[in-house]
Amino acid sequence: MARNAVNSEGRVAVHDLVKRFGSVAAVDGVSLDVAAGEFVALLGPSGSGKTTILMAIAGFEYPTSGRVEIGGEDVTWAPANKRNLGMVFQRYTLFPHMSVAENIAFPLKMRGIGRVERERRALAALETVRLAGYGERRTNQLSGGQQQRIALARAIVYQPRVLLMDEPLSALDKNLREEMQLEIKHLQQQLGITVVFVTHDQTEAMTMADRVAVLDLGRLQQVGAPRDLYEAPATPFVAGFIGETNFLPGRAVAAAAAGETLAVDLDGGGRVAAVAVDRLAAGAALRLAVRPERVRLAPSAGGLGGTVVEAIYAGVATTLIAELGGERRVRARIAAGTGERNWSDGEAVDVSWRPEDARAFAAGAAG
Amino acid sequence: MSARRPSAFFLGGRHLSEAASLALLVPFALLLVVVFLLPLGTLLHESLLVPAPTLEHYERVFAQPVYLRVMWRTLRIAFYVTLVALLLGYPLAYVMSRSGGLKLGLMAAAVLLPLWTSVLVRTYAWMVLLQRNGLVNEGLTGLGFVDAPIRLLYTEGAVVLAMSHVLLPFMVLPVFSALKGIPDDYPRAAQMLGASGWSTFREVIWPLSLPGVVSGCLMVFLLALGFFITPALIGGPQQMMIATLVSQQVREMLNWPFAGALVGVLLAFVLALTIAFNRFIRLERFVGTRS
Repeated sequence: MARNAVNSEGRVAVHDLVKRFGSVAAVDGVSLDVAAGEFVALLGPSGSGKTTILMAIAGFEYPTSGRVEIGGEDVTWAPANKRNLGMVFQRYTLFPHMSVAENIAFPLKMRGIGRVERERRALAALETVRLAGYGERRTNQLSGGQQQRIALARAIVYQPRVLLMDEPLSALDKNLREEMQLEIKHLQQQLGITVVFVTHDQTEAMTMADRVAVLDLGRLQQVGAPRDLYEAPATPFVAGFIGETNFLPGRAVAAAAAGETLAVDLDGGGRVAAVAVDRLAAGAALRLAVRPERVRLAPSAGGLGGTVVEAIYAGVATTLIAELGGERRVRARIAAGTGERNWSDGEAVDVSWRPEDARAFAAGAAG
Repeated sequence: MSARRPSAFFLGGRHLSEAASLALLVPFALLLVVVFLLPLGTLLHESLLVPAPTLEHYERVFAQPVYLRVMWRTLRIAFYVTLVALLLGYPLAYVMSRSGGLKLGLMAAAVLLPLWTSVLVRTYAWMVLLQRNGLVNEGLTGLGFVDAPIRLLYTEGAVVLAMSHVLLPFMVLPVFSALKGIPDDYPRAAQMLGASGWSTFREVIWPLSLPGVVSGCLMVFLLALGFFITPALIGGPQQMMIATLVSQQVREMLNWPFAGALVGVLLAFVLALTIAFNRFIRLERFVGTRS
């Protein structure tokens, strides 16, 4: 069932979305634009508001203020059954009193499509999710992965303009989850359908999405391609939430504009170079963020001197924890096969990084 | 203190030992045998085998129009009661399943409170309401709907009404728990797939609540078949149901064998119905509703 040239029908936008439950703002002024045919993941910890945003797009929650648009049309107050969206839920939602084929044909029946056409399209959708021949099964005869694939078939059989997914893989075990991630990604590309995918799993978001929107406490932290988020996090929260990051407090030696390289005096001693993410005044408190794999280790040579306190071997990489004095600890990751020397506990070590690998956030910045 | 293995009787965790479950069941089993199976057996024994094996009493049940009429009336009233209880009870259970807190508490109390009141008291209350100079007639004449009091008591309608009231909780509770057991995700998914509110109910909620509906109907119907106090007081002799007939045969005619035959027929019918419905429920789960 290849189809569907990308058109603006599938564009999804939320503007200044606010949703309060009592005095708590679950979503606090989020704007996000998803292009037709794009795969966007909403990523955040629980309570970040990602599910509430999805529910507002789906039509199960009405916002306190703000707008939801689908295909350029304001649907903020439209009921869910009038939005013509597809959705796959976190829990299995196949109707237990219907066969697999009846489940897939259900949305077609709701659209008044005749029995013969319903059956034909249900069979085609079954083939799309590689479960041809399962039509007569009962839903309780299927594994979790099969159930979610049928749910997917049911969500695309009526060719909705947008597919919403609410942590659809969280109940599956790791191997199956990884397999399904790629399968959904390929299906999305094949169908050219817009996908908004909610997850708390950063690897899942980065594997599947064209762009990832990172949320925390109801606010949008950053939207960008997975590579941008990882390599150029805009806030300390993003730096800490996506991948691992060493945070070191310090002060700017001189004023610096965003993007400029500056010298930083670390609290507890030591001067290092870094790139300013926010504009920083001279003497301003800041937080320095460095990825463990960007940390370089050398035998003590008078730079940021420390001691190796732990070396954790984990096959593909070894993680070293170095103590710099004053309660400061830095994790460094050495990939296997790079010919790096082995370090052992108690060894003196010199810690450094390239200026462009250290990002300086204003200390007051969110997160 | 010596460490001992825990005795086999009390196993830890969720599982009971065979001995423990047997021991815990004994009081109930004794009660069942002594006050239910033995008397019932005696009655059936009387109806079939005393003084010699005979089907004479059963033939009489089916041969005499008056008894057939009682049986037919019993079935008809039980059917109407079930229908009324379903029509009143389902919407109530539906609202209850979608409420919480004080609202749910009040509705649950309204449903359950009658259960904690004696059937006799409730039946007399209905008699007060429905009698010739009762509240209902006074209201009707007072408002000018009727010129003279109409006969409400001792009619089949009155019996159905009062019995439906008494038996309503037995419909509401199983339907409520079936509806409560349907995860929110199902109606949500249906809506997402384009179903209107009504279609969601017809295609998803109703079929998924059917097991509760079936057990509620079965419960109300079976209880209604054997109902004694309410039909005896509100229906009077003209509206006699089978339980009243049995009681009459035992207490007035002292005709134990014939009473036994009536009970036997009722019992056979109830068993057949239960088995049939059980099969239906299992079938329902296995085949599902066909669209």
